[in-house]
Amino acid sequence: MGHILDWIVYKDTMANVYTPFESYNLPYDIGCKLWEIIGGTLAWLIDLIFPGNVVSEWLVSDAVTTLLGLIVFMLLIFIVAFVSTLIVLWEERKVLGRMMDRRGTMVGMKGFLQCVADGLKTFQKENTIPAKVDKMTYMWTVTLVIGVSVLVLCMVPLSSRWYVVDYDTGLLIIMAFFALAPFFILVSGWAQNNKYSMIGGMRAAELMISYEAPMLILITTSALLAGSFNINDIVYAQMDSVWYIIPQVIGAITFFTCAVAEAERVPFDIAEAEAELVEGWQTEYAGMKWGLVMLADYMRGSVSCSMFVILFLGGWTLPFIGDGPIPEIVFLLKAYIVFFFMSYARAALARVRTDQILNLGWKVFLPLSIFNLAVVILLKVGGVF
Amino acid sequence: MAIKYLDKYPKNLAKSLWVMKPFVVVGKLFWKNIFHRPVTVLYPYEKEWIPDNYRGRPGLRFDKCVGCGMCVRMCPTACIKLIEVADDEGKPVMRPQVNLGRCAMCGYCAEYCPLDAMTVTPEYELAEYTRYDLLYGPRRLHYEGTTEEMEVKLEVTLPSDIENGNPERRVSLFDIDRPELIDNKCIGCKKCAKVCPVDAIEMVEKGVNDKGKPILRPVIDNSKCICCSNCVLDCPKDALQIKEVL
Repeated sequence: MGHILDWIVYKDTMANVYTPFESYNLPYDIGCKLWEIIGGTLAWLIDLIFPGNVVSEWLVSDAVTTLLGLIVFMLLIFIVAFVSTLIVLWEERKVLGRMMDRRGTMVGMKGFLQCVADGLKTFQKENTIPAKVDKMTYMWTVTLVIGVSVLVLCMVPLSSRWYVVDYDTGLLIIMAFFALAPFFILVSGWAQNNKYSMIGGMRAAELMISYEAPMLILITTSALLAGSFNINDIVYAQMDSVWYIIPQVIGAITFFTCAVAEAERVPFDIAEAEAELVEGWQTEYAGMKWGLVMLADYMRGSVSCSMFVILFLGGWTLPFIGDGPIPEIVFLLKAYIVFFFMSYARAALARVRTDQILNLGWKVFLPLSIFNLAVVILLKVGGVF
Repeated sequence: MAIKYLDKYPKNLAKSLWVMKPFVVVGKLFWKNIFHRPVTVLYPYEKEWIPDNYRGRPGLRFDKCVGCGMCVRMCPTACIKLIEVADDEGKPVMRPQVNLGRCAMCGYCAEYCPLDAMTVTPEYELAEYTRYDLLYGPRRLHYEGTTEEMEVKLEVTLPSDIENGNPERRVSLFDIDRPELIDNKCIGCKKCAKVCPVDAIEMVEKGVNDKGKPILRPVIDNSKCICCSNCVLDCPKDALQIKEVL
């Protein structure tokens, strides 16, 4: 006969030998604590009936706690990322509404539940697959587009304690996965056996070759300034000096424009230009497939904003304060503010032509990013940073 | 060829800054809309402000109406019909019935009504399940809360009058016109007296004719007359005409 608190002791997760993280991880910690409450209660009950059994000991052992903690960790990371994407979606609809002199969504919770309602609606739609599509690539490519977007979104750290990976090359991994989607879009456009989709896929590839080079240069510039590809290091380097938007204003504006293009949003949404190509490369996707593709679009937009915040706006830190009590909220708020400017651009500008985006990418963004790199190298050599 | 193609793009990149113009325009609108309400109205829950003389469905003040039929004649869509109903004392009287399926909400009935019994009302949500329900009888036309402003006067004032410093309103000028008898055409059939809704016409004996029968001539009480021109229209010999008061 034991007291229930003998079984729920809230062990230190870092002391657990199976913990896969090298530093403190909040969602994993929450998961472990949650399992200690549930599993500890179960173990206590079993121990009341069969005193001194093995199962109770096994339920609260390090291995089981780690397993269940990791499951909750995954759920938490995904749910937070998902909800923040829905908030981004809601923010865009409201902001666009105000910019067009209307109200935006109005269903429940100031219109937030409209996103949920739209998701449920697309779930109920009939799942049609056209007869002459290449079924395997058709399904696989859209799965990969959505999957890669979700993966990148989950990999963006919200703070030094809310992360999935903390590698030294974390920034590069995120950008590599981020840049994968246009390939799948290209293949998907071919697989759909539809001229609009085909043109949309080709345009996605064309868009990518125009913005990807300056974007990578800008990322390496920020990494150069911080001296590391580790996101934590970049953020804390900005806290120690200044936000990198100050030394590289030109770079920030260029990166923002490239990020809009990366997320395939207006004015660079030539891959799914509704006015020209029905829905671009998404034309043949029906029902929840289309709904998830749209959600993936907003996930990519959200990741773009997060990358901007990490590279130029000091991540989850605030000047003179540092981490603060809830750095995750600070990070998300900064990302929403950046996303506001994306919505602003969407409300203000018309879609560019396909040749204009190539001109922009190679004749404006690339020189600007290289100029920015030169400035940063001068600052670095001059010993300012 | 390639050089010619590239000439379309400005050499001076600063000229590309026109891109900022839509940002300024949208920013102004956004700034305005943060502090003011958007122009959109959530229709079923909130309604737009409507003026007092808003031309919604016609309304009828049953007690004021005399059943002259002016509205019936004026209705451009012919949706008004005089039907027989019992008044408060149970006597059968003629009152207008409006078919709102046809009504164009023009408000002419209220404008031409000599007694202002017909009014406009601010009601505009008039959907019904059947066409029969769209028939508004005289009692149903009654609108609770009819105000002075809902009476529509026949406005004869011209904008040019006001511009020339004569802002006096001239309304319902036709109401002071009166029917006039052309004596040699009248045959004394008493029809005008029968159709007059306000009993302003009285048949008066004016001597006897060659055969010794009394000569009846209508005498119009100008104070009672509302100038509905029923007598003029119904006269079989066109002996009555409207004399314009100028």
